[in-house]
Amino acid sequence: MTASTTTTNPPLICWNCHERARGTHFCPSCGKLQQITGSTDYFSLFEMPRKLWIEMNALEQKFLQLSWKLHPDNFVNATDTERELSLKRSSELNDAYRVLRDPVARVEYLLGLENMRKEGEHKQQAPPELLEEVFELNESLDELREAKSSGGDLGALKARLESAEKNFGEKLGEVDAQLQATARDWDAAVDATSDEAARKKVMGRLNELLNRRSYIRNLAVNVAKELGEA
Amino acid sequence: MAYSEKVVEHYNNPRNVGSLPKEDPNVGTGLVGAPECGDVMKLQMKINPDTQIIEEAKFKTFGCGSAIASSSLATEWVKGKTVQEALSIKNTDIVRELSLPPVKIHCSVLAEDAIKAAIGDWKKKHGIEAPVAEKAAH
Repeated sequence: MTASTTTTNPPLICWNCHERARGTHFCPSCGKLQQITGSTDYFSLFEMPRKLWIEMNALEQKFLQLSWKLHPDNFVNATDTERELSLKRSSELNDAYRVLRDPVARVEYLLGLENMRKEGEHKQQAPPELLEEVFELNESLDELREAKSSGGDLGALKARLESAEKNFGEKLGEVDAQLQATARDWDAAVDATSDEAARKKVMGRLNELLNRRSYIRNLAVNVAKELGEA
Repeated sequence: MAYSEKVVEHYNNPRNVGSLPKEDPNVGTGLVGAPECGDVMKLQMKINPDTQIIEEAKFKTFGCGSAIASSSLATEWVKGKTVQEALSIKNTDIVRELSLPPVKIHCSVLAEDAIKAAIGDWKKKHGIEAPVAEKAAH
């Protein structure tokens, strides 16, 4: 990938007054809205540490406060640069809020930041037991579909689907509880300024849980779909 | 984004869907998955221990059209090949044959992994040392 140094490393000086800007949002010197720098992530946007437990009220308050400050309405009479910045920064703020307030998206985002979430072409290994389980669950879902299309006993079928839905719902709940517990482990590791290896271990566990969650969620969605059509 | 004609063709007429007896000493089973999209793929082969020729191949995949087409194609390709030949099938060959777009490359990686896993399982049953796990190229 070719990118000019100006886009990958935005200058840490204010675009307007050329003073060294330290503020995340506004230049402490001239008060102008600042550009987004490469080192800005969603956590730092909200001036929060990279931790997974977030107090929802505080997050919301901060979001409202920042939306107010960055809102394009405040820049109607400003320069083109500022108007454009305000738009960009507001939309970034919305993205950040959406991710941070969702506990699962938050974990996914953190793993991405720490380069621990590999997606797309990059290979992810799922544990064999999980694959066996998912395969079997998929097979029973298939059986249900077949029974449905061959006009089996719809009442009994519906009962089976409902029990499958309940089952997946419970499994999803279990994973979410584990995810929460592991998120606390992560925060503890951050607080204790644990070494790289210890943090990586927690991240690996979070990654596994996200994988498991994505399989189960898929199955749950499929069951719900069948039920909707039953 | 539309699927290529070949993907659609395999999707509508998947080859060799089914399963082989897992306990059969001549059957190797590979079960692999891609967590990010929730796909699971099972590929099984019946291998003649004397000739090392893959006499039968079956698959069952729960996933998108590209994952189904990739595994269907994989079973077609490995049939009649020797273990050694089958191991040389690369995911990029599958990508080319099915004209998979970049976002679906992981489906072909999954199919290559499944071939390797199935052969690995068969080798294990026959006490043949599995080669150092080779990472699929992308």
